Amino acid sequence: MSVPDYMQCAEDHQTLLVVVQPVGIVSEENFFRIYKRISSVSQISVRDSQRVLYIRYRHHYPPENNEWGDFQTHRKVVGLITITDCFSAKDWPQTFEKFHVQKEIYGSTLYDSRLFVFGLQGEITEQPRTDVAFYPNYEDCEAVEKRIEDFIESLFIVLESKRLDRATDKSGDKIPLLCVPFEKKDFVGLDTDSRHYKKRCQGRMRKHVGDLCLQAGMLQDSLVHYHMSVELLRSVNDFLWLGAALEGLCSASVICHYPGGTGGKTGARRFQGSSLPAEAANRHRPGAQEVLIDPGALTTNGINPDTSAEIGRAKNCLSPEDIIDKYKEAISYYSKYKNAGVIELEACVKAVRVLAIQKRSMDASEFLQNAVYINLRQLSEEEKIQRYSILSELYELIGFHRKSAFFKRVAAMQCVAPSISEPGWRACYKLLLETLPGYSLSLDPKDFSRGTHRGWAAVQMRLLHELVYASRRMGNPALSVRHLSFLLQTMLDFLSDQEKKDVTQSLENYTCKCPGTMELLTLPGGPTLPPVPFTKLPIVRRVKLLNLPASLRPQKMKSLLGQNVSTKSPFIYSPIIAHNRGEERNKKIDFQWVQGDVCEVQLMVYNPMPFELRVENMGLLTSGVDFESLPAALSLPAESGLYPVTLVGVPQTTGMITVNGYHTTVFGVFSDCLLDNLPGVKTSGSTVEVIPALPRLQISTSLPRSAHSLQPSSGDEISTNVSVQLYNGEAQQLVIQLENIGTEPLETLEVTSRLLTTKDGISVSGFPLCSPFRQVVRPRVESKPVNAPEGGKPGDPSHMKTLEAILNFKYSGGPGHAEGYYRNLSLGLHVEAEPSVFFTRVTTLPATSTRQCHLLLDIFNSTEHELTVSARGNEELILHAGECQRMAIQVDKFSFESFPESPGEKGQLANPKQLEEERQEARGLEIDSKLDVHWRIPSLKRTGEASVEGLLSQLVLEHLQLAPLQWDVLVDGQPCDCEAAACRVGDPVRLEVRLTNQSPRSVGPFALTVAPFQDHQNGVHNYDLHDAVSFVGSSTFYLDAVQPSGQSACLGALLFLYTGDFFLHIHFHQDSASKELPPSWFCLPSVHVRALDAQA
Amino acid sequence: MNYPLYIRSAPTENELKFHYMVHTSLDVVDEKISAMGKALVDQRELYLGLLYPTEDYKVYGYVTNSKVKFVMVVDSSNTALRDNEIRSMFRKLHNSYTDVMCNPFYNPGDRIQSRAFDSMVTSMMIQVC
Repeated sequence: MSVPDYMQCAEDHQTLLVVVQPVGIVSEENFFRIYKRISSVSQISVRDSQRVLYIRYRHHYPPENNEWGDFQTHRKVVGLITITDCFSAKDWPQTFEKFHVQKEIYGSTLYDSRLFVFGLQGEITEQPRTDVAFYPNYEDCEAVEKRIEDFIESLFIVLESKRLDRATDKSGDKIPLLCVPFEKKDFVGLDTDSRHYKKRCQGRMRKHVGDLCLQAGMLQDSLVHYHMSVELLRSVNDFLWLGAALEGLCSASVICHYPGGTGGKTGARRFQGSSLPAEAANRHRPGAQEVLIDPGALTTNGINPDTSAEIGRAKNCLSPEDIIDKYKEAISYYSKYKNAGVIELEACVKAVRVLAIQKRSMDASEFLQNAVYINLRQLSEEEKIQRYSILSELYELIGFHRKSAFFKRVAAMQCVAPSISEPGWRACYKLLLETLPGYSLSLDPKDFSRGTHRGWAAVQMRLLHELVYASRRMGNPALSVRHLSFLLQTMLDFLSDQEKKDVTQSLENYTCKCPGTMELLTLPGGPTLPPVPFTKLPIVRRVKLLNLPASLRPQKMKSLLGQNVSTKSPFIYSPIIAHNRGEERNKKIDFQWVQGDVCEVQLMVYNPMPFELRVENMGLLTSGVDFESLPAALSLPAESGLYPVTLVGVPQTTGMITVNGYHTTVFGVFSDCLLDNLPGVKTSGSTVEVIPALPRLQISTSLPRSAHSLQPSSGDEISTNVSVQLYNGEAQQLVIQLENIGTEPLETLEVTSRLLTTKDGISVSGFPLCSPFRQVVRPRVESKPVNAPEGGKPGDPSHMKTLEAILNFKYSGGPGHAEGYYRNLSLGLHVEAEPSVFFTRVTTLPATSTRQCHLLLDIFNSTEHELTVSARGNEELILHAGECQRMAIQVDKFSFESFPESPGEKGQLANPKQLEEERQEARGLEIDSKLDVHWRIPSLKRTGEASVEGLLSQLVLEHLQLAPLQWDVLVDGQPCDCEAAACRVGDPVRLEVRLTNQSPRSVGPFALTVAPFQDHQNGVHNYDLHDAVSFVGSSTFYLDAVQPSGQSACLGALLFLYTGDFFLHIHFHQDSASKELPPSWFCLPSVHVRALDAQA
Repeated sequence: MNYPLYIRSAPTENELKFHYMVHTSLDVVDEKISAMGKALVDQRELYLGLLYPTEDYKVYGYVTNSKVKFVMVVDSSNTALRDNEIRSMFRKLHNSYTDVMCNPFYNPGDRIQSRAFDSMVTSMMIQVC
């Protein structure tokens, strides 16, 4: 016997073996349909008794195994059922002949046989034969089960008769020696009369009867027979049969102890199918007398037919521990015989099943270990596979999952051994898949994404490589790619650099034919392979959604502060919220993206591979909003550090968008990596609101942009910066062009400007806005006097000053405008003012006319260039670098009080000091415009203006101011100021003094005295002119009080008696009323009269 | 928790064979530990003895109280190694492992990369061969 039945279990000892075989051409489908129905009749309660018969059906049984039927009767084929197709009566004899041939094969052992004929109809079917049954077709055969039952009953009758026959062999009769096939030649010429031989015959026969009893459902009887047999055989050292007897004893005991069976599924089925509950079956076991071996009952020369004589008190059944001991003993006896390898192997398997039920895994493993070393003859490859598979199953049964996996893998490798001409890659693959749990390997990458690696990486890697190879040879490249991806993803930490290269190389080879996908792959067996996203190629460490650039950032029209507060906690700070990590992941980010605008997400990635990693088609995975992802391709250097990657996309609709992850294509494998599944990723939130589209403005300026960026404290971000360097007083025109490059129309635009705090106490004047689209900026920067009283630090006039300002363009339009959003574009202006010219001192000198005066300006050229300065109507003054010169300008006096002040300023700035400052400023401006002092640097072709603003002292101002009381002196009706009025000697000259009051109050009355004098041009004024000049009337005039803006005049006359140049000095009489008024108000022009000869 | 913290084999060729051997031996280790009752676990002998013999090798096991497993595979033909020698080797291994654990920079569960442990294992292997 050479073919082991690895599925055997102890219960099989009580079964009758029936072979069901097809004869002729029977389709497999039909055969197995009938076979299934037949094998459903697996146990029969025998009529008139409570015994149960168990049947084991086989559709294939090697006849050589049948030869061991005497050794263990359950190996004997006792029944044969043949199934055949026969459609015409003509074929019938032939078919019947075949049935007989079939019977011959097992002929020596058969108790009975049946032929089931399908398809035949007609008179032949009428013949009353017990061994043949006719059925018209495979569907119409309800009676099959009944037939089988009848058949089994007939088997039982034979069995029972044999049992009784053997059991009642009289001691006088010669007991035949039962033997196994290989023993036959050993007994040739043996003395058959010796006691030893007789005992051996008795022992073997006892054992055989025990087998029959067991099969016939007489468990207790069988136990007794086995016990006796053991005693007999032990005494004659018949080890092989002693082993069999012990094994029989074990089997019977197992059946007694474990009515549920030891054979796994089949056992369970048997138990379920049993009409009797386990306990009841135990109690009412047919023929179950309480039996005890009575040593006296063992006669030396025969077998006592009546087992009832051996009834004792204790049970013959072995205890569970004894079962194992006896199995061990039996196996040790079997192992003495090389030819009994199969028996030994099967005994091991049976013992293991028993131990598995007893949960004695360690003992079981010893049996299995033994089974591994049992060398049968040269096994075929198929048998090897079967053997390893069954070892694996048995190890699994006792909970040795790793060992089980080991053998399963060996079986898988056996399927594709090089000696096999047609390697079974499919079977190999299937077996390999089954080993996965034993290596703590699941094919779901999620199981490996968190925590430490599970299982034995070196072994797992090997297995994965084998899976890859097997699936490729199976012709399923998609599977290879999936497994290889899995290997790369989960075993990355364990791969050496060379292995990483090799694995990726082969992955690329596979994917060029069959790219890796994110789809579930369904395996032939039914399970599915989840997709393997390459979350480690590259490794992503941080994900950050980026705000739009400042110029494109949408802002809400109205403050939503109230709303925000209401949704949040009433506490200003709560540690509970601050440490809620779960929320952090999905929390909304407090900025918005805009529909139609490119939005960015920044990932910090690194490449763990020892070579350059090419990541293609890397884009964002989002939900909530239609999002057009614009994939990027990147190339990461080997073992790169953290590397920022920006992924972009355009939201097409509005709403809340959530960035769920990213997709990549690496080595030809498409991966969708979800952030939730990434370990160790820092994210500051992944949900952001997308608001409706807004227009987009692009700004361009006439001046080049500068790198220098303003950093205003208010936190505004400046998108564009313009920097310009100017000389103090220089004007620069800046043209700003705004272009709407978005798709939405611009509906509103609001321009505001803001000056940032300037350093060095620069005063800035004028930042007017003229037109929303054309902006003229005239920063006027003046330096303060060196000894500026309010400036804490003395301003160094040669020091460069900077001025910073921001122009804000608030604009909106399109659907975003309807939602109340706008955008803010800021232009930063950075002006560096270099000092040009400034006035170190300003003084005045009275001019000849009272309405004018001379302004003396000490001008200092602080530039490094030669420059020219010119004032209105004056000549150009050339100043070398660092030179200071005085410039005298004759100016008309100013009547400052008449300047209209802007109404807004007047009303609001009630502060008298401020009011005064403004007045000063206004005066400065007025003076500047009058003076119009310009400088020009010819070498640089730059011009500018200079201002006296801030330099004018009160005294200078007073000098420059036109008195509110205007005095006009008219000689002969001609106004006379600086020029000499001509008159004739002897003629009376009319003199009129006119007063115009422009002050806000009434002045006067005044008394004026006219004093003529002659200037000798040597500093001597001759007032003693009584001889030369005579007054017509009084020399003293009198003026009444003059109301505001009123006018008054007084008249007198003079008579010059001689020719000559005369001057008239008009002065006031000291008066109490006039004392309140400043003396400068009473500055009357001196009158120059040239008296000419009458003849001339 | 069954993954290798440290593995060394003296003939480095065919190392995977030893990986398989040690991996499958864990079944026996598990079985031996689980067979013991809860109370017994605390006082049990750390040395598990021969896990299973194969044709060419003997596999011995040792489990610390914190369930860290040591498995030793030795050549069957090496008769110099008897139970006592194996036991003392395990004790040495355990002591060295304790030293590794005492290193504040060692993360329990990480692969052992200690030079001291390495050299101890090397010395033990030289002694045996």
